[in-house]
Amino acid sequence: MSAALRAELFKQRSTRASLGLFATMIVLILFVVLLHGLGVDAGNFDTASKQISVLFGWGEFLAALFAGLLGAMSITGEIRHGTIRPTLLVNPRRQKVVLAKVWASMLIAIGFGLAAGAVAAGVGTVALESRGIDVLVGAGDYALLILGSAAAAALWAAIGVGIGSLVRNQVPALVGIVVWFLFVENLLVGDLAGVGELGRLLPAAAGKAISGQDPETLLAPGFALALLALYAVVAALVGARAASRRDVA
Amino acid sequence: MSADGGAESLLDEDSARTPAPRALPRQAVVTVERLTKRYGEIVAVDDISFSLEAGTVTGFLGPNGAGKSTTLRVLLGLAEPTKGEALVFNQRYRELEQPFRRIGAVLESNDFDPGRSGRDHLRALAIAAEIPRSRVEEVLELVELAGDAHRKVRTYSLGMRQRLGLAAALLGDPELLVLDEPANGLDPVGVHWLRRFLRDFAGAGRTVLVSSHLLAEVAQAVDRVLIINSGRIVVAAPLDELTRGGQTLEEVYLDLITGSAS
Repeated sequence: MSAALRAELFKQRSTRASLGLFATMIVLILFVVLLHGLGVDAGNFDTASKQISVLFGWGEFLAALFAGLLGAMSITGEIRHGTIRPTLLVNPRRQKVVLAKVWASMLIAIGFGLAAGAVAAGVGTVALESRGIDVLVGAGDYALLILGSAAAAALWAAIGVGIGSLVRNQVPALVGIVVWFLFVENLLVGDLAGVGELGRLLPAAAGKAISGQDPETLLAPGFALALLALYAVVAALVGARAASRRDVA
Repeated sequence: MSADGGAESLLDEDSARTPAPRALPRQAVVTVERLTKRYGEIVAVDDISFSLEAGTVTGFLGPNGAGKSTTLRVLLGLAEPTKGEALVFNQRYRELEQPFRRIGAVLESNDFDPGRSGRDHLRALAIAAEIPRSRVEEVLELVELAGDAHRKVRTYSLGMRQRLGLAAALLGDPELLVLDEPANGLDPVGVHWLRRFLRDFAGAGRTVLVSSHLLAEVAQAVDRVLIINSGRIVVAAPLDELTRGGQTLEEVYLDLITGSAS
């Protein structure tokens, strides 16, 4: 493990910021899964696919969102607090610094994704069983939910680092990621914009597809994984390039 | 900051400075060659050249906005020159191997995550620079922060933050120390501490470049002066040469900066 990567991991665990993100994510998952699991009409849970899309998929969705925020914060936080200056004095090779942030954020995001997928699956299952609804999701589906959630979160963390390196200012970077997840992609998935099936090629939709959500509309998990990985690579490289070309104030 | 204070400090400096003749040929630690830095229409640094020799303490003086910080950022690889070159140990900072072990720098007094402890701030840098953990404790002792190192930086006073920044710059046991406005906001005890520190550091044969607009604070600690105004170097000379005529540094400075305008 490189010194730069070890330093990034140390930075992440020496403040409470990532722990705070993690806790917020878990609380939101509990809230949204219990709300849907206990509140949504039983008719919406009559197939495995619906159970995944309406209920269990929330783990992946929130893990990917929070991983994106974690990745973006790893660089915009340093710019905001000015620690980017000492960081770059130690390691003036900026691409290496950005790529170390990508790897560190991805490693932590895997933890976010595994926990989010497991909590959503576990709490969702308990919620359905408590209402006497048959859980139609099989072992393979559970595995795909949890592992897919980890993969989507890891790749979204890399995308977040790239966005953070490009945008630099913390508030617009974080608000941009949230708005994209909660609003923009929801508008574009489906044929609302007259672009047919193109919405499923977008990165948040690809994240959902990796964990097996909504297979009728979204991509197959393997293809979605490759596509989201491509997004991640492009975002990380564009971010690294932007960071190495711009002056630090 | 009065003219009298300045005069006193110069006397102090003369009596306190220990003669340190060095037989070794002096090596250019910093070489700035025809450096220009533009931000759009604004010319922050305009075709400046200077060099620093090993073992000297140079005061980099000038009004706010004169181009001091821009010059230091280019020198330290944080900003790209528009034209010309700024070299440290004959290389661009970004091309040095392990620059942190040769150059220590403090550019802003508050470059810390407020939610991280002072010790962890240093540890993160030490890990990145592959500097042993024991060195973190050494520099904490050196800047007299060992007792407060476990606290989050948000609880630190400005003086403590200045010292923590200095501790970070010293982690790599550098030969060259670059400090941008280190005396800003320090109380008299802090300024005294800083002066003594700079003298000790340079006394060991190492080099310091310290920018400031607080003249009395630096006059006692420097042996060379670079004065920059509107992006141009207006004076580069040994301090005792500038003040030979009985003028204080402050008088020389004011003549140069405002003299041409009045």
